[in-house]
Amino acid sequence: MKRTLTVCPYCGTGCMLHLLSEGGRLIGVEPSSTHPISRGGLCIKGWNAFGFVHHPDRLTEPLVRKDGVLVPTGWQEALSMVVRGLQSVQARHGKDAIMFASSAKATNEENFLLMKLARRVFGTNNIDHCARLCHSSTVTGLAETFGSGAMTNSIDCIDRAKLIFVIGSNTTEQHPLIGSRIIRAVNKGAQLIVADNRRIRLSRHANLHLRHRNGSDVALLLAMMHVILAEGLEDREFIAARCENFEEFAAIARDWPPERAAAITGLGAEEVVAAARLYATSPAAMIFYSMGITQHSHGVDNVRAVAALAMLTGNIGRPGTGVNPLRGQNNVQGGCDMGVLPDLYSGYQKVSDPVVREKFRAAWGGGPLPETPGLPLTLAMNAASKGQIRAMFIMGENPIISDPDQSHAREALQSLELLVVQDIFLTETAQLADVVLPAACFAEKDGTFTNTERRIQLVQKGVEPPGEARADWQIICELARHAGSQVMNYEDTAQIMAEIASLTPAYGGVTHQRLAPYGLQWPCPSADHAGTPLLHTVQFSRGKGRFALIGYRQPAEMTDARFPYTLTTGRTYFHWHTGSMTRRTHLLHREEPKAFVEINPVDAAAIGVRNGGLVTVASRRGELTVAARVTGTVPEKVLFMPFHFMEGAANALTNNVLDPESHIPEFKVAAVSIRRGQ
Amino acid sequence: MKTIADLELVGFFRQLASDYDIRVPVLLPDGGRAFGSIDDGALALGGGALPTKPTAVFFPQDDTLFAQGSGGELLVPEHSRPLFIAGFTALDLRCLKFIDRFFADGFRDDVYFRTRESAVVATVSGYCGPDGALLPLANGDCDLEFIALRGQWLVRAYSNKGEAIALLIPGEASADAVAEVGALAAIVNPDEEVIKAASALLLVDAVPDSFWEEIAVNCIQCSGCNLVCPTCTCFGVQDWRYADRLERSRMWDSCQLDGFMREAGGHNPLGTDALRTRRRIHHKLAADMTKWGELGCFVCGRCDATCPTGIGIVAIARQMVAQYGSFQAG
Repeated sequence: MKRTLTVCPYCGTGCMLHLLSEGGRLIGVEPSSTHPISRGGLCIKGWNAFGFVHHPDRLTEPLVRKDGVLVPTGWQEALSMVVRGLQSVQARHGKDAIMFASSAKATNEENFLLMKLARRVFGTNNIDHCARLCHSSTVTGLAETFGSGAMTNSIDCIDRAKLIFVIGSNTTEQHPLIGSRIIRAVNKGAQLIVADNRRIRLSRHANLHLRHRNGSDVALLLAMMHVILAEGLEDREFIAARCENFEEFAAIARDWPPERAAAITGLGAEEVVAAARLYATSPAAMIFYSMGITQHSHGVDNVRAVAALAMLTGNIGRPGTGVNPLRGQNNVQGGCDMGVLPDLYSGYQKVSDPVVREKFRAAWGGGPLPETPGLPLTLAMNAASKGQIRAMFIMGENPIISDPDQSHAREALQSLELLVVQDIFLTETAQLADVVLPAACFAEKDGTFTNTERRIQLVQKGVEPPGEARADWQIICELARHAGSQVMNYEDTAQIMAEIASLTPAYGGVTHQRLAPYGLQWPCPSADHAGTPLLHTVQFSRGKGRFALIGYRQPAEMTDARFPYTLTTGRTYFHWHTGSMTRRTHLLHREEPKAFVEINPVDAAAIGVRNGGLVTVASRRGELTVAARVTGTVPEKVLFMPFHFMEGAANALTNNVLDPESHIPEFKVAAVSIRRGQ
Repeated sequence: MKTIADLELVGFFRQLASDYDIRVPVLLPDGGRAFGSIDDGALALGGGALPTKPTAVFFPQDDTLFAQGSGGELLVPEHSRPLFIAGFTALDLRCLKFIDRFFADGFRDDVYFRTRESAVVATVSGYCGPDGALLPLANGDCDLEFIALRGQWLVRAYSNKGEAIALLIPGEASADAVAEVGALAAIVNPDEEVIKAASALLLVDAVPDSFWEEIAVNCIQCSGCNLVCPTCTCFGVQDWRYADRLERSRMWDSCQLDGFMREAGGHNPLGTDALRTRRRIHHKLAADMTKWGELGCFVCGRCDATCPTGIGIVAIARQMVAQYGSFQAG
């Protein structure tokens, strides 16, 4: 029997576990009993993290499309087809006619290499990843206000918080080992405010549960700040010493009496007042938020408002406080850190900065690097449907299920001259590809993931990949060599990390050797630096914390007579994203085997459907029929659907409208109708 | 009784490796301890009970039962050498005995017994608990016992297999040491009394439904309480069809999950967290008592340690006794 200490492949919490294997086959997992987050526990997905690895559906050899059908081929032919195809499109339509989609499931090393491949080998900044769909609003909003778009505090700060304010995060289901720590803190006396109109598990523990209307967060937060200012509860000393732009901001907040917010949020004015007092009078208040804040056409403003609330009350830079965006994917923090973003190199260094470009150019063996920022993923899909993007290389993403407005995404991918998908299963997106490259999964390779608290942790290989499948980093290096480049030759992933460290200030002191056993939290700028659990302690990363000037904008699509219900989308506890792994895991699939829509009992009675009965949900983009889950979890006139299921794809209904700054889609609000199905 | 020094243990276990597949507690890279082979990490026989389910050596989380080749031939996984496991505590041994009986009762589970029957089980006891604390003696129910006493391990055999292995150890324990072992005090675990009191309350139906609502609000359905429990035996079965074979395996299940009892039509007799939490505790402290005449919980503390929100069986039993302990039956 063999044991391999590694990181859970699901959410951004970053629990560590031991993979147990016997004769090259995984036979179970055990939680790390000493890890500072896992602490001997795991969630249901962690306990079943090995369950899909040996599934018969795993891709074991490269596939190419011949006469319309995907057929097996050898690596040489597949890699040549990819490189020739990408180069041919570039020769005819320009360097920026191709797009690379990287993966928040892959390691830091792999993300860094795909970034290098796009920029150095193919000469385009058209590279992005699924952070565009989850926390791009955070990256934009917190970078502007604080100077760093990451969790300001650490998970263990929960134990020291006196009040926890959770807004737009179903924490026990999406970050279970963080959600459960919040429950423990509350059971030991911390106060809890939950702002989410679904009756999520955490709301049962809350001192105050605010069920505000979807997309009304800015109004709620501005009104809370109005109350704080009106009652003199702001931290004047902190504001004067640490922040800028306060007076201009305060003028806006003073214009938001709770009664005004009540009309927009559907809350009582007294609820807003109570929330403001609870938060502002706590000696240590910690905010957690997630996609309920970010996935809006005004997602960046939501983030700015959250940041302002913390600054206004001085709840930042101390243990038990802070603004804490919970990153979704196991390595979405790392994906952003590694610069798989169209405008940034690793470490958030701008591609438009000639000094930065020169640094990377010199390190990468000379040759020009593209100067203008590339396309965000969401705009690239739009560009593909218009014929401006002609080829796409997608590593470990499944946009057919995860992108908004499914028929638009399908049309965009089908209009490409060349679609390459590198994945572990033949996903719904891979089924459309011209070339499919079989990859190793988390249990079959080495590298690092960076969790939501900026902790860079070692991923270690427990078993061999199936058949001809290879680690993403090995495939990327092969692609570079096939393209005639000699700048991507590495013995192992530790060597890649050495290059990352040399070019990325926040990772400057990181080596694989230093990461055993529990990793380091960035910034870790030098070999003798112990890492940084707490950001912005003395000053903000950008110097002064900036109060951004924000205004309330309603969601892009409001209900009307034809579409009288608000649809909000998200995930369930048992599945992960597009279900490619969890729907192939026996226990997880059994728990949540089919698509459903949550509907309030009053609404269910009105349309004449009972629990489990079929309903047809329609929006301006499409319609689908799924089972009704009749539950008081959702308020009246609000429907919730998870997006995991191809056969009841919530994203057939969602609205492909983007935040103008972060280009994140408004997954959380769409107007729909519902009727009893057949 | 034999004696062996701490430093000689690795060599001794290595000596057995030609005949046995060795599993001993080793130090892991994260500082934890778990069963592993002698080469997986430094030997850590002392330190107390291991944090995860010790009975997993015979009943792993995922176990291939058999495969059927494309020609219809049946392929049953073979274990070339029997297992030698050192590191069960006396409590773990009671749990093992409990599931031995379960797997043998009525339909005999040959998948379990194909590794269990040939295995050699060695217990650890004496002064080898956390920080050298005293662990209770096994006094039988295993093949061998390693008793930690003042820098040495006294080795006592209880079976033919155990005696054959003990013969490989040259050192004879002194009469003083044997006497000292005989005089070791019995250890009282105060939590055991709490568990017994909680069991009594459940058996007379003194705990209202509202109690389970109150507890279950904390459950995040991680299933960890079941998956670390040495006496939990529930499993599900899955078939995977590969190009050249069909493979059937079984994997641990958990009564804390909605799908555990959900019927195909959707009806679920255990359809709420409260009912499932009640079932978990009721099974161990009431149903097992009725069926087997003993509790299904030996108070090892693992579920309390793994539960992310603090509702392991001891925590629940304490709360139950605090709230309803004054109840007198009849």
